[in-house]
Amino acid sequence: MSARSATSALDVARLIIASLNLDLAPEAIAPDAPLFGEGLGLDSIDALELALAISREYGLELRSDDARNRQVFASLQSLTDYIDETRTK
Amino acid sequence: MPAHPGPDLPLLARAPGAVLFRRPHGGVTTGNTTTGGFLAAATRLAATLAATAPGPVLNLCADRAQIAIGLAGALLAGRVSLFTGDRSPSWLTALAERHPGLTALTDTDHDATLASLDLPSLTLPPVPDTATSAAPIPTIPADRLAAIVFTSGSTGEPVGHRKSWGELVARSVDAARRFRLIAAQPASVVGTVPGQHMYGLETTILLPLHAPAASWCGPAFYPVDIAAALAACPAPRVLVTTPLQLRALLAAEVALPPVARVISATAPLDPAVAAAAEARWQTEIWEIFGATEVGSIASRRTTAGPDWRTYPRVRLTPHETANRTANQVPSQPGLFVLVHAPGAAPFPLNDRIDLADPTSFRLIGRHGDLVKLGGRRASLAGLTSILNDIDGVEDGIFLAPEDSETRPTARMLAFAVAPGLSAERILAELRARIDPVFLPRRVVRIPRLPRDRLGKLPARALAELRAQAGGQEPA
Repeated sequence: MSARSATSALDVARLIIASLNLDLAPEAIAPDAPLFGEGLGLDSIDALELALAISREYGLELRSDDARNRQVFASLQSLTDYIDETRTK
Repeated sequence: MPAHPGPDLPLLARAPGAVLFRRPHGGVTTGNTTTGGFLAAATRLAATLAATAPGPVLNLCADRAQIAIGLAGALLAGRVSLFTGDRSPSWLTALAERHPGLTALTDTDHDATLASLDLPSLTLPPVPDTATSAAPIPTIPADRLAAIVFTSGSTGEPVGHRKSWGELVARSVDAARRFRLIAAQPASVVGTVPGQHMYGLETTILLPLHAPAASWCGPAFYPVDIAAALAACPAPRVLVTTPLQLRALLAAEVALPPVARVISATAPLDPAVAAAAEARWQTEIWEIFGATEVGSIASRRTTAGPDWRTYPRVRLTPHETANRTANQVPSQPGLFVLVHAPGAAPFPLNDRIDLADPTSFRLIGRHGDLVKLGGRRASLAGLTSILNDIDGVEDGIFLAPEDSETRPTARMLAFAVAPGLSAERILAELRARIDPVFLPRRVVRIPRLPRDRLGKLPARALAELRAQAGGQEPA
């Protein structure tokens, strides 16, 4: 069992904002709003940046052949859940 | 019909059984695509296309082998293939209106974009991995119009460039020669760039048809994907990528198997990044110079200096009329040139260059209005006019990031005078009209633009505006 506490959506929101330099408060990212396209409007270049930040912060590597990939990036909450399940630090 | 048709060129010039496209094994995926399997699939598609309306084929396939099969099947059926990176519903609808009888070609059952459109479409069956064809390799007239490749839709109107079969084949053969691909040791090409973009089309779709190379069809986007893809391919490995992904790959510190060569294009590569990558992976980093209009025409090893050498058989000559006009503006260095390449009409290059001789040059810089991000070009004036066309926007301007040449993640900045609109609303309107890569990171709403008495925006006022908006983003 890991001793660390559960991943917080607010921390992930802060990471998204810091790594993509968004002009937003972390609370402004709705947990269930889409991150890409219509919602926050992120694109594939952002995905690459974000993947790098997530790997540094949480020690997990995103890959596109993961069948869940689309689902993982669907919203802040789904991304947070995925990080929580698979993080190594 | 032309009075003197050109020679016929083979659809592909590979040995029977040669691997053209490689994909991950296991699971539901099929195996590699060989010459025989490719020919069988292309022939089958040509027969299917014969029953469709006699218009062009809009190639929207995702898998690289399927993109190539789509192109080959269309060629055999006498159809032109359309390649566009812009998948916005409005653009695809416009394409269908301009090309009567168009058939959209996909390789997935559930293409979200297509499902929302009322386009006649055809879904390719999975690539056969064991099929063979005993039939001889068909030939295609060199002067046949094979494809129309569209530039990005950055300013609302992608421009199509017509490619003859002869031109496409010539450039693949020349690239193979420049990058010393030899039949005795076929290269494994792992491409991270979309196959519908001119650079990706040349290097990952066409190259395997005419040069000893097998192109990877699996995922290759995130650093871990790229590492896994390279590891799944036999040496010698060639990574075809962009400055953005090279930088991400370096930062991710994933272990790579030996890579013989890395090829980068779409934006200038920072020589420091190239040097770091060469040291880390014990490889050679080469850049390709090209544009959708002309395809790849030159290359250089980034760490060896700023000089570009044209591909074999490509020559540059001064563009006399353009230079005469340009000379009326003092202090403009460099020359406009015409590109002479096999199979293509002489084409004027957008960039001003220092021409050492017809095969060697240096870039001077782009026109002030031209901004290039993520491998796509846009006109600042065009973007600004799109912003000003939005209902409720009284005045507005797009500014280019000052460091877009060295920082691949740089983004546009937009200022708008729009009392009745929220920044989110303006962004949503822009999203519907321009290429995502040119969407501003944010829209700054201001009471008025600092125009002078002539209505112009002085450089100093723009610099202040930029500074107020938070200045440079961190790299």
